[in-house]
Amino acid sequence: MAEIEFLHVGKVYGGDTLAVSDLNLKIGEGEFVVLVGPSGCGKTTALRMVAGLEEVTEGEVRIGDQIVNDLAPRDRDIAMVFQNYALYPHKTVYENLAFGLRMRKVPKEEQRRRVEEIAQKLGLSDMLRRRPGQLSGGQRQRVAMGRAIVREPKAFLMDEPLSNLDAKLRVQMRAEISRIQKTLHVTTLYVTHDQVEAMTMGDRVAVMRDGVLQQVDTPQKLYDSPANLFVASFVGSPPMNLFEATVEQGGTQLAFGETRLDLGFRSLPDYAGRRVIVGIRPEEVREASGWDGARVRGRVLLVEALGAEQIVHIQIAATPLERADLVDAAAQPPGPSLGVEDLERSVTLLGRFDRHLLLTPGEAVEVAIDPRLLHFFDLETGIALPTAAVPAVAGVAG
Amino acid sequence: MASVAESGYIPASRRRRFSRRRVGQTTAPYVLLAPAVAVIGLVLAYPLYLLVKMSFQEYGIRSLFTHKGTWIGTANYARIFHDGEFWHVVLRTVLFTAACVSLTMVLGTAIALLLTRVSRFVRIALMAGLVLVWAVPVIVAVDLWRWMVDYEFGVANWTLTKLHVGNFVRHDWFANPWSGLGVFVALIVWGAIPFVTITVYAALAQVPKELLEAAAIDGAKPWSVFREVTMPLLLPIFVILTSLSIIWDFQVFQQIWVMLDARPSSDYYTMAIYAFHQSFQISEYGLGAAIAVVMVAFMFVATLVYLRQMLKTGEVY
Amino acid sequence: MSRKRLRNLGWDAIGILVLIVMVFPVYWMVTTAFKPGQKILSYTPQWFPTHPVLSNFRDAIHQQFFWDAVKNSLIVTSVVVVLSVVLAFLAALALAKFSFYGRKPFIVVILGVQMVPLAALIIPLYITMARLGEVDKLSGVIIMYLTFALPFAVWTLRGFLLGVPKELEESAMVDGATRFGAFVRILLPLLGPGLVATSLFAFILAWNEFIIAYVFLHTPEKQTLMVWLASFTTLRGTDWGPLMAGATLCALPVIVFFLLVQRRIAFGLTAGAVKG
Repeated sequence: MAEIEFLHVGKVYGGDTLAVSDLNLKIGEGEFVVLVGPSGCGKTTALRMVAGLEEVTEGEVRIGDQIVNDLAPRDRDIAMVFQNYALYPHKTVYENLAFGLRMRKVPKEEQRRRVEEIAQKLGLSDMLRRRPGQLSGGQRQRVAMGRAIVREPKAFLMDEPLSNLDAKLRVQMRAEISRIQKTLHVTTLYVTHDQVEAMTMGDRVAVMRDGVLQQVDTPQKLYDSPANLFVASFVGSPPMNLFEATVEQGGTQLAFGETRLDLGFRSLPDYAGRRVIVGIRPEEVREASGWDGARVRGRVLLVEALGAEQIVHIQIAATPLERADLVDAAAQPPGPSLGVEDLERSVTLLGRFDRHLLLTPGEAVEVAIDPRLLHFFDLETGIALPTAAVPAVAGVAG
Repeated sequence: MASVAESGYIPASRRRRFSRRRVGQTTAPYVLLAPAVAVIGLVLAYPLYLLVKMSFQEYGIRSLFTHKGTWIGTANYARIFHDGEFWHVVLRTVLFTAACVSLTMVLGTAIALLLTRVSRFVRIALMAGLVLVWAVPVIVAVDLWRWMVDYEFGVANWTLTKLHVGNFVRHDWFANPWSGLGVFVALIVWGAIPFVTITVYAALAQVPKELLEAAAIDGAKPWSVFREVTMPLLLPIFVILTSLSIIWDFQVFQQIWVMLDARPSSDYYTMAIYAFHQSFQISEYGLGAAIAVVMVAFMFVATLVYLRQMLKTGEVY
Repeated sequence: MSRKRLRNLGWDAIGILVLIVMVFPVYWMVTTAFKPGQKILSYTPQWFPTHPVLSNFRDAIHQQFFWDAVKNSLIVTSVVVVLSVVLAFLAALALAKFSFYGRKPFIVVILGVQMVPLAALIIPLYITMARLGEVDKLSGVIIMYLTFALPFAVWTLRGFLLGVPKELEESAMVDGATRFGAFVRILLPLLGPGLVATSLFAFILAWNEFIIAYVFLHTPEKQTLMVWLASFTTLRGTDWGPLMAGATLCALPVIVFFLLVQRRIAFGLTAGAVKG
């Protein structure tokens, strides 16, 4: 068991393709850290540098107190679970599980004891004689996990280990991997592109984009206070609603469409008179009955019933985001529906509503937005804006 | 995922430019290739160069011992281009190749399609039969065909007579070059069908079923499905097989040579035989080389087509 | 009976007909080999040998130089198979696992030389080999066969190497194997079919080849089986029984090999090409 540390780590391919740049990240002993980001963001490269499968072109990777940059994979004492499991097709499950032990010259009896113990734990005892080709996807996944565990390595590296499973099995294995990791208390670096996986499994989550680390924090912190527009749009499903608004009244009021929203006890004094990006999570968009704050008028475009709740698409008057490059590509809000007039000035707001609320497409609604729950981002850089607390007096005066 | 290394086994380090590992990385592939390159260079590249050189030389029996030809410029080419016989040989070779290749491709593809229609049992039997034919060495095939078309006791003459195709009693197939070349076409096509059929069948099996189903649902009849979906998907394989067949059939030599007891009359000369005759029988090696160069030039087009297709489908990056 | 069943029966009938036409020559060769002389030279063909005899085979193997030819063919074939697999494997490894300057040109060359017509090269080849003193020697023939076997072998093995996910090796290396260990324990076993296909191809090429052996091997004691078979014809004219027996014997090893591994060959030959 050991900690893993990236110190100013960079990876350049073929002289100019930058896969990872200046990565600083420390995975504590026994900690479960998830590296997450869209495909091509460098997360897998980072993982493979820890494994020794990619050479580190800049900086240092440490495992424990050793710099491992020039250490061969076999000397790093780490175990890796690959996306396609990489089970040796010509070896039986038993031989697959025992391979790492054999390579480390563990005595035969000890090998047998450990393989059987792991097989027992993972429910693989009945299939030790079979070959990977005869196993189901879930079973293969278990063998791959078993092969990593049986070695009792310093750290686990997992490269999208669940992405080849169907949705149901994935949820099940998610819990199982978390459970195993907690029991064994092994330092784990886990790579995925699935933010739900990241949020549910990681002690901490590191969000990457284009080779650059965006933010590292606990899942809850990441969700509540994203450091920038990208993290805000990447984390959460459905994604955060984003639109542009103008800061008025010396930083205490927000204007978009016909709406004037008082920021209450917060203000953006530095942005007075300028435009900012405003974000609000779908579950914070509420139906307005009984709300005495500011209301936003809109029209229902679509209702998606999910059983326990419903996702409602509401068209409101506001300016859509201009800089699409600042947000996660997969989280782009759906474009305005056909037949919606004034495309430039309308935004589709997603709201997560209680299922008992009866709404029909075309219906006019009023939604309530609590200014305390809004996120603000810089229009140009996408960086989250801190708000200043407004003295009570000033608030009254405004 | 873009993060997967494209640059090789373990990409070379930039930081540690002069480490031993780095040197090992860059020289290893060349060391691995060296033996193969040496052999190919000795047996193919050098002779190819020599062939071109000799075609501009007077190279006779004496030169064989002195290893020196006399430079005569394009005289060899001038001679063959003004030689009426040469053009006959070229035309014969082209027509012969065309007949062999088209029959091989059409019959081979037809049998491959047939394989998809027949019952399991027939398919396995037919596949085994094709593999059997495939395995027959060319010289053995020549001997057995020669036995089948024997003018006196050949089974072909008897069968054709019994089927009332005509009177084939004591019919000598090789007396007339047209029928004689016909026998060679049959022999070559027979031997080439298995490779074409098995390859096309393997390719047919890889055409996604959904595509055929989608076409059928869109209202295409079986023939249209073949023409609109199957054919385009199989096009690369057809291109490869056709160009390979052209290359193989254009240089036909041993079948004719062995069947006609190493003394084919000039009616049976193909370019390969003509070149061989000029060199080894008349000892005009330079002239033979010139003919061979023209032959390579003819085949070059087919080679280019083949190369392009192979590089496209072979995932050469 | 439904129309569909009728149609399927029709296809089967055509299939069987094609089978008969294709296989008949081979059948005819084998049955002739087992027939006594007077049954062979009969104006009405005898379709099934009623009293098979072995005298033709006896005649064939007692033919002059038969055993020399067998020995020579075995030597040439086995050396070509071993060397071509080894050399091709090394080259394929370079092509599939490394990126280096000149890789693509080499692939083009590998594919291109397959296309060089042997019949055109025979003249300069003869002169080159004569200079090296390799005419009328098995070693010279072996080198030439090797060259013609290599391109295909390299290409095929490269395809097989690319077909093995690199994660398997990586996983072995993470699990504690050395690069070489991962290669021996993981990669090599998985390449089995590719190695079989490659050696089979080399075997067939070396065993069946005629032109080179015919031009380069003058001494009867040094000739290979195919040259022996071809000269058998010219010397004895039309002694069909022993000739067919000899032909059958020459074809037998190839046919046996082919039938043993037929699925693998079909795969091996198409592996590189059919993917697209």
